Amino acid sequence: MIKDDTSKKNYTLKRQTGYWLGEFTVMASPCQILLDNVDGALADSLTALAYAEAKRIELKFSRFRDDNIIARLNSGTNEIIRVDEETIRLINLADLCFQLSDGLFDISSGVLGKLWHFKQQTQLPNDADIKALLPNIGWQKASWNAPLLRLPKGMQIDLGGIGKEYAVDKVAQLLQQQTDNAFLVNFGGDIYANKLRSNEDSWQIAIEDPNHLGKSKLMISLAQGGLASSGDSQRYIEVDGQRYGHILNPKTGYPIAGGPAQVTVYAQNCVQAGMLATIALLQGEFAEDFLIAQDCRYWLS
Amino acid sequence: MQLKIKIKSKSKSKTFTNISMTLAAATCALSTPVLAQPSELDSWDVNAGLLIYAEGDNQVQAYEGALSLTKQIDDERSINVKGVIDVLTGASPNGAVAQNKAQTFTRPSGNGSYTTVTGDTPLDDTFRDTRVALSTQYQQQLSRLWLYSGGAYLSKEYDYLALSINSALARDFNNRNTTASLGFAYAYDTIEPEGGIPNPGVSVDNPNNRLTDSDTKQTLDLLFGLTQVIDRQTLMQLNYSISDVSGYQTDPFKIFSVVDSNGWANDYVYENRPDQRTKQSLFWRTKYNIQPSGQVLDVSYRYFWDDWGITSHTIDSKWRVQLSNQHFIEPHLRYYSQQAADFYRVYLDDSQPIPEYMTADYRLGELQTYTIGLKYGLPIAGNEFSVRLEYYLTQVSGDDSLAKGAGMAGLDLYPDKSAIMLQSFYRF
Repeated sequence: MIKDDTSKKNYTLKRQTGYWLGEFTVMASPCQILLDNVDGALADSLTALAYAEAKRIELKFSRFRDDNIIARLNSGTNEIIRVDEETIRLINLADLCFQLSDGLFDISSGVLGKLWHFKQQTQLPNDADIKALLPNIGWQKASWNAPLLRLPKGMQIDLGGIGKEYAVDKVAQLLQQQTDNAFLVNFGGDIYANKLRSNEDSWQIAIEDPNHLGKSKLMISLAQGGLASSGDSQRYIEVDGQRYGHILNPKTGYPIAGGPAQVTVYAQNCVQAGMLATIALLQGEFAEDFLIAQDCRYWLS
Repeated sequence: MQLKIKIKSKSKSKTFTNISMTLAAATCALSTPVLAQPSELDSWDVNAGLLIYAEGDNQVQAYEGALSLTKQIDDERSINVKGVIDVLTGASPNGAVAQNKAQTFTRPSGNGSYTTVTGDTPLDDTFRDTRVALSTQYQQQLSRLWLYSGGAYLSKEYDYLALSINSALARDFNNRNTTASLGFAYAYDTIEPEGGIPNPGVSVDNPNNRLTDSDTKQTLDLLFGLTQVIDRQTLMQLNYSISDVSGYQTDPFKIFSVVDSNGWANDYVYENRPDQRTKQSLFWRTKYNIQPSGQVLDVSYRYFWDDWGITSHTIDSKWRVQLSNQHFIEPHLRYYSQQAADFYRVYLDDSQPIPEYMTADYRLGELQTYTIGLKYGLPIAGNEFSVRLEYYLTQVSGDDSLAKGAGMAGLDLYPDKSAIMLQSFYRF
């Protein structure tokens, strides 16, 4: 009996005109690897490599597991925990973003998601419940001196706001070591492309219109660099005609009002694009003022 | 290509600072491969250095060995302990002027004498000492933005004991792009020259030319510093320091020629410097990292002035060029220019009363120093080894017409001095 070998694989491969498309799901996101001008065997090994790296990062930093560094940090024991070099770098970046955003970008704000889950939510969370969570939020209360981190009792951190973009850059870096061909990494809309395709074309990227799902309003051509979007129009609740989006202010515990539905930013790499997009959205109605000051290419919708 | 969709017209706007640059630098660091695990906290970081310094004409020679140990106690605290031993030999100018005759001097200790031949600048050949110095420095991160450091220093040579303590506080501002620091140091030195402290202005041949056995000097330093990250490549530093020295600052081994109208030195007296001195300096430094070649250009300028009338300018530049295989070369150029202290004289006229303060020490005279050097570094067994070779040339200047009369006609009162230094470091 011949066993179908591909059925064991965690990814699929499709041949498209001029490139191979590898697809898998990691971090609850549809992930794509577009490989320009390669043969099927190389496409297969590169996609396998990309999947393995993305999965490694998911397992290491997911807050939904009980066997990783995030689980140890969030265990609530108030101990000093020594973290490894990769975690140091991610926390350093989070720490920097916390400072650069005056405390709006906060990896300790994830606990608010218990109240603001936006899943068939029709009522605002109880104000008293929100207030009760606030003492557990605030990265300035954590004691971070790389490689040692101590979280105050009750504080939990979530690197999900950086993890996907980080995975994109990491995978791109690995692919870069393996191939001289052009490629594009797309993890749920967070994207990196290494160079012009062999036919001198850029990759054409369709950005989904958050107000008309399934339809693309924006086409962006990307040759080299990172592209990331922040904002998600599916996650909101409307109460008494007031729309509450899913970007939460860690200082008040409430959604930030008046901002664009979605921000897309182009930068040198995907993490940089992602951080700029997220911090922009956290500025609410001043998102565009923030982006103008960054001197970067951006798209609002 | 850029497409911006205004969601609404806004009446309000807000001003933001540009953080892209900082983010770009931080995110680049994020994706560089993790090469090695950070060193264990309980290991000591050891730096060892050897230095050989030799002045021209067989003047001062120095050999120095230094060992520096640094330990990261935990992530917030570190401690450094350093020991230095140096041995000095050779001869150094005693302050007397050259003469068209041989000169004989009693040794500073009062035991024995030495003779300088015709035309030569008199050198005291008893310059020989061993110095042992120990210091310790402690650093602690007080909070996210505050850094404290404090230390103590002790050095002992045959006739000199130096003790000092220091303390500094630094704070980061402006997304850690700016660091301001404030430091102070206090030093207490005791000198106990062989034979005692000489009586200034009194002849070296006078049997009653000694005052006390020892004397002391106290120094208080204050330092204000500002370091600013200009962009991803450029770092700028600005320091101001003020230093108040009180106590015995005279060099008990330096003497003065008392010269008659024919230029002959018939007597020698001990020098004298004020008990009070206030020194100030302004220091500006820029480090520029040339990307992507990894070259580093390090340029600094210092302006120094004090109430003895000395002002000086120092321009220093180093250019580090990265070669392949982690080798590097670093050319070094330095220029130093100094104006003389108000009480600097080459000699005293016997027709004039002896002034209260006077020195003939060329180091307080008008001079220019040029330094040219090259450092070469390479990894040995995975650790950095480097060796530095430097050449110094000091040009002392002054009024040539002072070489007067039969006693000094045709003599160079301001001989140039040169020195070579060879230094090596190993870090493991």
